[in-house]
Amino acid sequence: MNAPSIRKRLLAWLLLPAVLILTAGTLSDYFTALPPYRDAYDQALFDAALAVSAHVRTDAQGHRTLSLPPDAIAILRYDSYDSIFFKVTTDSGEYIAGDRDLPQLTEESNNPARGFIQYHGESVRLVTYRTKGANGVLDVSVAETLHKRDHTRRRILGTSLAVDICQLGLVLALIWIGVRLALGPLRTVELQIASRSARDLTPLPRESVPTEIEGLVTALNRLFVTVRATSDAQRRFLESAAHQLRTPLTGLQVQLELLTGDPAAAPVRERLAPLLEATQRLTHTTQQLLALARSDEAANLRWEFIQLELSEIVESTVADRISAALGAGIDMGADTEPGTIQGVRWLLVEALSNLVNNSIAHTPAGGTITVRCGADFLEVSDNGVGIPVDEREQVLGRFFRGSNARGAGSGLGLAIVAEVAQLHGAAVSIDAGPDGTGTTVRMTFQLNR
Amino acid sequence: MRVLVVEDDPLVGDGIRRALNGGGFAADLVSSAEAAKSALDTEAFDLVIADIGLPRQDGLQFVRSLRNRGQIVPVLILTARDGLQDRVTALDLGADDYLTKPFQVPELLARCRALIRRANSVASARISFGDLELDTTRKSVTAGGKALELSQREWAILECLILNAGHIVSKNKLVSAIADWSEDLTLNAVEVYVSRLRAKLGTAAVISTVRGMGYRIDEPRS
Repeated sequence: MNAPSIRKRLLAWLLLPAVLILTAGTLSDYFTALPPYRDAYDQALFDAALAVSAHVRTDAQGHRTLSLPPDAIAILRYDSYDSIFFKVTTDSGEYIAGDRDLPQLTEESNNPARGFIQYHGESVRLVTYRTKGANGVLDVSVAETLHKRDHTRRRILGTSLAVDICQLGLVLALIWIGVRLALGPLRTVELQIASRSARDLTPLPRESVPTEIEGLVTALNRLFVTVRATSDAQRRFLESAAHQLRTPLTGLQVQLELLTGDPAAAPVRERLAPLLEATQRLTHTTQQLLALARSDEAANLRWEFIQLELSEIVESTVADRISAALGAGIDMGADTEPGTIQGVRWLLVEALSNLVNNSIAHTPAGGTITVRCGADFLEVSDNGVGIPVDEREQVLGRFFRGSNARGAGSGLGLAIVAEVAQLHGAAVSIDAGPDGTGTTVRMTFQLNR
Repeated sequence: MRVLVVEDDPLVGDGIRRALNGGGFAADLVSSAEAAKSALDTEAFDLVIADIGLPRQDGLQFVRSLRNRGQIVPVLILTARDGLQDRVTALDLGADDYLTKPFQVPELLARCRALIRRANSVASARISFGDLELDTTRKSVTAGGKALELSQREWAILECLILNAGHIVSKNKLVSAIADWSEDLTLNAVEVYVSRLRAKLGTAAVISTVRGMGYRIDEPRS
């Protein structure tokens, strides 16, 4: 499993705290807004209580009554949202006026006392005010239902929530964009690495690299240098080995060929023939290894890429291999249409020669081999033994020999074709020959590269 | 016919010398360009075979100095298969043909014969190819001493093929070889002449068709 992405971690570490902070802000806005509005509404109840207490009169018999006319009481009770209740009693609980069943709050410490109570099945806010005056000690209670208060609370909550949600959204968006922008250079480096060919071992550019991953890029570049040095050494070794092998092998081959044909060596001719064959095979493999090594080098250095006529490559390959084909009794020919590409000539000839050699080895006498080219392809087709469909992918790998393979090939021929094709950005396809038997191998190039 | 072989590897040099001897050539082996130049100063050779990778002065410089000194002896250069640039340079500098290492003996002999034949056809009127003897002044040909009746065009085609033995000769090249006598020759007409020529030559020489490219003549396989 991958470690979580930096972007996700950054987003998580920035977004979660941001959400928490903004939520806390919303809550604190809400709760700090509550007391002032509650006090304001309570003040109105208190004022009403004060006004009521001012209208209590004591008659000659010592009875206290509320001397408010019904109209005034109606005004007192009038409210567009809430129902208002009141009650006036003496401090000993003797009823004077108002709603008889309205409870009273009697607190020694707070005057006026206030609180929420249930009244007639509804929550109400109740204020009880104790006055001492000419009429003795009176308790005046005023209560109202909570519609107005609920409405206001909802409005406060709604407004602050809306503002805070907008803020939250904005902050989240800014964090998201910021993280993306900040991580942009990482993505650039990633793309740079991803778009490189697997063989491109040149150092990554350091200019646009952010400080945080400069160490990483430096380490990568150091790795590239090491890998390149290793593969250079390997290639130099292979190339020098191939060069060193080639001359003695040529001598060996010529001498064995002469010995095989020498009448004096007639008694051992049977033993010489396999020696000659083995030498030829060795020579061939050496040449192929050299071609692979040089193809790697060409891939790394991109040298020798020039404008090439495909027909010239076909003709020179056919001219080079015609003796072998005629010797094997095979009708070999060329079929050329105009076409030009950018490439390394000898590697393409080498690749095509390997295909022709394969065809010669796998086509019986009397068979046909045709080397073709067109606007964007090189192709060799034969009507020989063919390659089974399920092996057509594998034969392009190094040292793979198909189940139909004949002769003593190295298994490198098609690997070279694949390598050279890759170097030239060409696709290799393997199909049956033109009449359903045999093999057609085609390298298709991308033009205008 | 005498061939000078310039090759520093003793095994390869000896192999070439023996192969040439087996092919009916006299061959002298030297291992450096300097030795080759002094040999050429004192003796006459019909052909020089020079390896491109000689010590001190390499094969390319050797060819250049030969041509600068006015030596017209044909030169066959031995190169590596991946030494394309060497090949092109060698031909530009005045080499007459190249052969890539490793080569096969019959190929080497065929190239040597073709080069000597071409050089001799300029100097003398006689060209020989296996059992065939061509007389370039009388435009006549004999196979194993027996005269063959060839039309002028057939003869011209045979001469052109033989002078380029070992190489594929395009139909266009054959058309221009017989153009001296022709009005308007089509490529198809060339095919007709070649097939007539094949019939008349019988087993004296093998003319192979290379589809899409032309023809190639070979001595019959022994």
